[in-house]
Amino acid sequence: MQNSESSNAGKAVPKRYRLSLKTRETLAAYLFLLPFILLFSVFVIRATFYAIQMSFFDWTILKPIKPFIGLANYKELINDDVWWLALRNTLYFSIITVIGTSAVALAAALAINQPKVKGKEFFRVLLYMPSLLSVGVIGLTWVWLLNTQFGIVNYLLSFLGIRPINWLGNANLVIPALSLTTIWWGFGFPMLIFLAGLQGIPEQLYEAARIDGARTGQIFWRITLPLLRPTLLFITVTGFIAHFQVFGQPFIMTRGGPGRASYTVIFYLYEAAWRAFRMGYGSAIAVALAFIIIFFTLLQFRFIGRRVEY
Amino acid sequence: MSKLKAIKYIFSLVLLVFFAQSMAQDAPEPVVTDFGTGGTLISFWNGLSGSDGVTLNEMLGKFVEETPGVSVRTEIIDWGTLYPKLQTAFVAGEPPDVFIVHASEVAQFQSYGMLKDLSYLYDTNGGTLPSADFAQPGFNGVFVDGVPYGVPLDNHGRGTWANVGLFEAAGIEPHIPNNFDDLVAMLQQLTLDVNGNNAASADFDAANVAQWGTCMEWIYTDFESYLWQFGGSIISEDGKTATVNSEAAISALQRMHDLIYKYHVSPEPAGFDSWQSWAGGKVALVPTGTWFRNFAEDQTDIKGQALPAMQVGPNPGTWFGSHVFMIPAGLEGEKLAAVEKMILWVTDHQAMWAGSGQVPARISVQESLDPALYPSNITIGKTFQEYGHLEVVSKAILELQAALDPELGSALNNQKSIEDALNDANKRMQQVLDRNQ
Repeated sequence: MQNSESSNAGKAVPKRYRLSLKTRETLAAYLFLLPFILLFSVFVIRATFYAIQMSFFDWTILKPIKPFIGLANYKELINDDVWWLALRNTLYFSIITVIGTSAVALAAALAINQPKVKGKEFFRVLLYMPSLLSVGVIGLTWVWLLNTQFGIVNYLLSFLGIRPINWLGNANLVIPALSLTTIWWGFGFPMLIFLAGLQGIPEQLYEAARIDGARTGQIFWRITLPLLRPTLLFITVTGFIAHFQVFGQPFIMTRGGPGRASYTVIFYLYEAAWRAFRMGYGSAIAVALAFIIIFFTLLQFRFIGRRVEY
Repeated sequence: MSKLKAIKYIFSLVLLVFFAQSMAQDAPEPVVTDFGTGGTLISFWNGLSGSDGVTLNEMLGKFVEETPGVSVRTEIIDWGTLYPKLQTAFVAGEPPDVFIVHASEVAQFQSYGMLKDLSYLYDTNGGTLPSADFAQPGFNGVFVDGVPYGVPLDNHGRGTWANVGLFEAAGIEPHIPNNFDDLVAMLQQLTLDVNGNNAASADFDAANVAQWGTCMEWIYTDFESYLWQFGGSIISEDGKTATVNSEAAISALQRMHDLIYKYHVSPEPAGFDSWQSWAGGKVALVPTGTWFRNFAEDQTDIKGQALPAMQVGPNPGTWFGSHVFMIPAGLEGEKLAAVEKMILWVTDHQAMWAGSGQVPARISVQESLDPALYPSNITIGKTFQEYGHLEVVSKAILELQAALDPELGSALNNQKSIEDALNDANKRMQQVLDRNQ
């Protein structure tokens, strides 16, 4: 041993390269992320670019020749009445569904968050349960609930002297009816987010307000709601993105009808791509929708997204 | 654990069990079914998701019993999903070994090069299938440029189903009048308000109808039937021009509209469940198809009777289609031989297929049906041969249907005028035809 050490003494010991702690942590993080990034790249990023590429072609899935047609699909889209109708329906559905979902979720969260409420966990589970169901189950269930002749909703309304309402067959009511279904289905998740947001508001602020003599309404409008603004932003932005892509409800419950009164953008995309076999035009619809969603997301950040600190 | 907490947990558990059980009960019938254990397995896709699918599966069970060495895996997918699935399967190079679509779609699928030329199966080209025994005009539907790309299983199409009890209560023998005025008069007698007044009565309360004379069911096919009755068609004979805003089309749709809003003998179509209403004794005469047979028979408290399609125009006419077996172009070898055996077996046993309510494609089988057992197949099937029109054949038929169908709904639900709806439909259909020339 001694000899060996002596023999190395005169040589320069190479400096062992050591990564800094921060670099190692960063590398580890990326390694953990790698499987997701790989899958995301293949199934989302690649597919997105592929769809953009397809939108410049007359791309019928089974035809061997797919000619390049430049912007023709987009030009057709601009002049397509059904596209504009579907966009209008989608916007209407998204706005009322986001507002309705947020209001119901916030009301439920506020009710459950009351200190005197017993069995919070139970109600949390109960109200969240509809979110666990698939759109197929929800759609078929609500078709029967809202059935004009045999539905339980009209049956209950009949006790109030209200004549049967053609929920899904009336062009003016069909979008609100689909929205009602969606709110019932989807308010569970935002409710949990609101609950988390409510529990993050410092109790001292409420105590100070009560000492100053603030009433319940004032406390809600002046403290709770402003301090929930980041939560509200998250819920409206994610809700808007999700509801703008609504498909299952009109597909299962109305098939876009009556007439085209419940055609939504994704429903129309499905019709174009999978019923008319026009993948190029369907891709153009998808790309246009993506830009519209980005536009509305930025708009929401602009109007709701002021940073709140406390 | 406090008593309250225990109650909450038990209640939650009960809810979860109930929830899971209801989900399990609602689980749909399996779409994939295996028949037989033979070494050559063939996959068979079709859209026969009603009682006709049950009948076909029974037939396949018998086929594999009689055909050792062959097993069949059927996949029943509703039509709306079958078309996209077929596309992706063909693109992926994994199509089924045999599938069923409609005769009107043969031209479209053939234009993609998907289909095998089946001339060799027919006696005109050395095969065993007797060409002359397949009913016209349905058989014509499998040909593209003189080449058959399929083997017809049936003719299925439009007729009506009467609730005999409601007819008898009105003192009317179940029948279809051969002119519009008499039809309206009959339907008015069969439409009753909550006070028991019929639609011809001056006291009739159109806002509170308890029993309808008729209703709208599959609007697209009934419109086409009535359009043919007026001598029109949705596209020109050469397939290049949309003609759905013609005078004939306006007349046909106007009369459908009149049944709802002028004569009050039919409810607005949207949101009206025609089958359940017939089953509930709320509709006297439902326009429907041959496939209604088993549903009607299941309603044991209602005496049903199949009748021809309603005559709204000056001449009789009715829509019908044909389910057709097709084989992918690339199929060869053992699997092809097994598929051929299956098609030939089913074709030779089409009498069993009548149990589905559909009309067998072979004339000899149609003629052999027992009138006591298959009255609807015979009554409605006869109309297909006498004055039936096979669904329009076009390379873009699915897209044409998608362009027309919502516009008909818009007109009949009073969202658009008849002229506007048909003009809009015509414009979109012409664009479709122009793209597919």
